[in-house]
Amino acid sequence: MNSHISTKFAFVEKCFFDVGLTVFYMKISSSQMFRDLSKWCFGALTLLLLTGAFNAQAQGDALFKAKCATCHQIFKDGTGPKLFEARQKWSDGGAAEGSIFQWVNNWSNAAAADPYAQSVSTWSETAMTAFPDLSKEQITSIFDWVDSQEEVTAAVGSLGGAGGASVEQESGLGWVWIVLAIVFVVVILAVGGVRRQLKSASAEMEGEAFDDEMTYTDELKQWAWSNRKFVALGIVAVVLGLLVTLFLSLYSIGLVENYQPSQPIAFPHSVHAGTNGIDCKYCHNSVTKSKTAGLPTVNVCMNCHKQVSGTTPEQQEQIQKIYDAAGYDPSGAGKYTGETKEIVWNKVHVLPDHVYFNHSQHVEVGGVDCKQCHGDMASMTETAKVQTVEELNKVEGNIQLTKTTLTMGWCIECHKEKEISNGVLDTKKDGYYDEIHKRLMDGDKELYGKYLEDGKVTVMELGGWECAKCHY
Amino acid sequence: MKMKFRIISSIAIAAVTTLMFGSCASDPDSSGLEYMPDMYRSPAIEPYVDYGEVKGRENTELKLKQSAMTPPSGTIPYYGTDSATVALMMPYARKAHTSMKTTHGMYGADLTEVNEYDLAASDKNPLALDSENSKEIFATGKKLFSANCAHCHGAKGDGNGPMVLSGAYAGVPDYANLTNLGDGQLFYSIYYGKGMMGAHNPILDKKEIWTLVHYIRKFQDADYGTFSAAENVEVVEAH
Repeated sequence: MNSHISTKFAFVEKCFFDVGLTVFYMKISSSQMFRDLSKWCFGALTLLLLTGAFNAQAQGDALFKAKCATCHQIFKDGTGPKLFEARQKWSDGGAAEGSIFQWVNNWSNAAAADPYAQSVSTWSETAMTAFPDLSKEQITSIFDWVDSQEEVTAAVGSLGGAGGASVEQESGLGWVWIVLAIVFVVVILAVGGVRRQLKSASAEMEGEAFDDEMTYTDELKQWAWSNRKFVALGIVAVVLGLLVTLFLSLYSIGLVENYQPSQPIAFPHSVHAGTNGIDCKYCHNSVTKSKTAGLPTVNVCMNCHKQVSGTTPEQQEQIQKIYDAAGYDPSGAGKYTGETKEIVWNKVHVLPDHVYFNHSQHVEVGGVDCKQCHGDMASMTETAKVQTVEELNKVEGNIQLTKTTLTMGWCIECHKEKEISNGVLDTKKDGYYDEIHKRLMDGDKELYGKYLEDGKVTVMELGGWECAKCHY
Repeated sequence: MKMKFRIISSIAIAAVTTLMFGSCASDPDSSGLEYMPDMYRSPAIEPYVDYGEVKGRENTELKLKQSAMTPPSGTIPYYGTDSATVALMMPYARKAHTSMKTTHGMYGADLTEVNEYDLAASDKNPLALDSENSKEIFATGKKLFSANCAHCHGAKGDGNGPMVLSGAYAGVPDYANLTNLGDGQLFYSIYYGKGMMGAHNPILDKKEIWTLVHYIRKFQDADYGTFSAAENVEVVEAH
């Protein structure tokens, strides 16, 4: 552009110079003035052109966002086809001149007049909205703006990269131990063999008959008997140690902390609840209404994944499983085929039958945040697991507990600490506690005073420790 | 002596076996040793449990089938006996268009050739706002909106939710541009889906969707649903 302008100026200059020389021998000053003027004019013209182009650009941008973006994307097919170089596509496809403008104004008119437009109308079952008030210039500005966009391919980190590495490291360590153990056994056997040979050699030298019949066991017995005090002490120590570990491991029966079953789809909560800010209650939507929080049915996944098909091959592979389950073919305009499959998720938090736990009671009535029991899922890159109580305690705003997650001790510890709703007998929650409040105020003021001694009414004080609350 | 040795060795063997069992818990796919496994995997029906095998008996028909299913079409949950609520919760009369079978799935739903979306423009919101309930309806609407809509539509309804801002999703309209739609059309779009948006009737009931319609109107008009203190008359009529 710059060089273009300068050559033009050089040309203009030369013309003036020639004219000046041959005809009037024009004064330098006036020629200078004229040249400046022309420069100004040229500058103003360029500015006008540029702002004009800029305005058209801004107009195209605004119009695209207001009218088209709901259905059309620039580089990706959606409800409508992608718009990048759509004009090129139409003219290559043999569309009639101006047919595309007619299409935008009212697609059915264009489809009636132009065979190419007719073929476009079968792209999707969804009919395009008519925009009769868009002028030809406005439509051109939209297409100009769309074609001037550049596709950005974001480099998104691969999904399971970190997890895979850590697994490899662990198994590598295991191999080291096995190899070390084998080496030790070989060394011990070799030393033993050498010792035996030496012993027999020395016995031979001294002319004594070496008792070849004496086995390792006999030797061991002999040695143990001669050192019986130490051996007995050693055995007691080992047995005590084993007993302690036995009882410790008995204590671990029925504890499910860190239980992280494999899932059919590598679902990263960090992307969904973290980066994209989706509320837990959108996918686990029965949490406010029923006993279970609910796993999303595949149609809930499809509410976003109809458009979001993944940027890396890893993501695409995982999201393809959703399409298979929903019976959806993402090519072209996308199409539901009706051939569905089940996604079989593995249940992570399993309570035994003799415990009744209700999510809506805790989330709706009690106002407990999901993170109190499930931890900070917004930063959980792997599949869901039962968080340890240490991890739960690190989460901001959580009640600090000491007992193992999902044990009864853990439940009642929280019931002892947790205030009902926010503040003293909060009656905001649909008057749920009104009745109990009334009974306390009318009948048992003394008990009420006792409850308020620590400044709060806890779940326990309203019967949260009664056996039949959870076991019936 | 021999007896004692036997006792000691059997305890030692038991300890080693328990240790080995205990180590099973380090396998992420195992939930560890359970006191009463049949209490965890019982014949009583619990959600999201594979009932293909209960107590050693296999049932191939149930195997890997009971996970995250949608309720049968036309069924409604029990809402008590309050006639107003029951009437509101009856199945939605308007049907989805046949073209939505390929664009929105609509498995098991009744379809029609008639463009019911356009007809829905005249539908009135059965949840009438008055000076008593409006505050509560908007509060519930806000709660529902932030849980179910805000990640795309944005907390202000301008189409700039966190999903759009993160670049994951595109093409969410600003409610300010949708003032030409009737209440019934908003309901129809939430219920059956529209364009890229999927059907939300599996996760929201009719009362909740009508509440959301009120809340969306509030984005378009700040005075919507406000009442003058003196009279119980609606200042601004619905669009």
